[in-house]
Amino acid sequence: FFFLMIRRPPRSTQGVSSAASDVYKRQVSTQSTWDFQWCQRRSMGKESKSQFSLKKVKQYILVGRAKPVAGQKEEPKVYRMRVFAPNTVIAKSKFWTLMRKQKKIKHTGGELIAIHEVIENPSKSVKVYGIVLRYQSRTGYHNMYKEYRDTNICGAMSQMYMDMAGRHRAREETIHIVRTCVVPESKIKRAETKSFTNGNVKFPLLNRISRPPIKKFKAFARAKRPTLFLQQNNSDS
Amino acid sequence: MCIRDRVSTQSTWDIQYLRDLMGFKRFVQAGRVAYINYGVDHGKVCVIVEVINSTRVLVDGPTLGVPRQVISLRRLALTDHLLKVAKGIHTKALEIVIKKNDLVKKIGESSWAKKLAAQKRRAELNDFERFQVMMLKRQKAYLVNKDVAQAKGKKSKKAPAKKPKEAKSGQQAFYASNYINLFAPVSYTHL
Repeated sequence: FFFLMIRRPPRSTQGVSSAASDVYKRQVSTQSTWDFQWCQRRSMGKESKSQFSLKKVKQYILVGRAKPVAGQKEEPKVYRMRVFAPNTVIAKSKFWTLMRKQKKIKHTGGELIAIHEVIENPSKSVKVYGIVLRYQSRTGYHNMYKEYRDTNICGAMSQMYMDMAGRHRAREETIHIVRTCVVPESKIKRAETKSFTNGNVKFPLLNRISRPPIKKFKAFARAKRPTLFLQQNNSDS
Repeated sequence: MCIRDRVSTQSTWDIQYLRDLMGFKRFVQAGRVAYINYGVDHGKVCVIVEVINSTRVLVDGPTLGVPRQVISLRRLALTDHLLKVAKGIHTKALEIVIKKNDLVKKIGESSWAKKLAAQKRRAELNDFERFQVMMLKRQKAYLVNKDVAQAKGKKSKKAPAKKPKEAKSGQQAFYASNYINLFAPVSYTHL
């Protein structure tokens, strides 16, 4: 469903290329992806507007490699990475951070071949997402496995970030995502997730408050005192 | 103890306790028909397809004008209607169930829907119609007060029954004589 990145042939003969042409190459690749994303967003239409989902992060696929060096026989290996980030700038930054740490390729010595946003289809079904992460607390590093129910991976990731921030005071920068997966019902670990996956889940709505249906009608000052309960006739519809 | 703790210890809430002792009758569950209170689709009715967590649900309303979406429970008001559907039902299958159960008709028949329709009609009235309403309200009040006065007269033991007030003033006579013929019939629902 998402774009498998193929190795693009080099645009010019290999050698030490000038900085100006490098920049031009990068610009061209990001421009084309932007156009494609724009087309994707348009095709999604009105459905996307009414989606109520936390969208702190987006999913990106980044492809990059070390810059070819003069006299090198083999072409540098191309690496592809899946990154969750709120925008392309941070996605690129995360990509290079990991390239540097794992593959010893610095941003200055490397080139980003492509960056694509992975846009999932609008919500059709609810899935359980399992996220393995590693985060830095004030006293050390910890591994975690967390489960979230959501319709798409980005929603689940956003939930995770909010959850980590709330429970462990772990900010986005300190969290590294190791693995994400869709967990089948039989393999769900967490009791809460399991209980909601149950088809018979039922609960009443408590502590209801009435509020104006449109933000426009929200008034700063009102003539009447507020109603502290939602008048719902439980016996008659 | 918050909702979250309760749900984690039991696979389902103790429904009998909730229904009989606490008096809850409407539950968030797959198949529950809900009214959207807030947001883009406010005013529309949808069906809860699946419960995501204690704050969000997946809803759908194929013939009801609601696209399949995730919505916060804060934006929903539950109704009495419940469809028998499996959780996660697809849009097309749900459409069949809605048609089979005649949901649109049932919702329209409910007193709540009628009130909403009346409110909507009231908001749409033009100036002349509002004048008509005012006149009819007066006529209605006149008739009601007349009956009340008669009833009071009958009930009182001391004094003899008060004579029903003769239409003395010109205005009263006007209403009394003309209340059928004066205006074109306007329904009472917007009074």
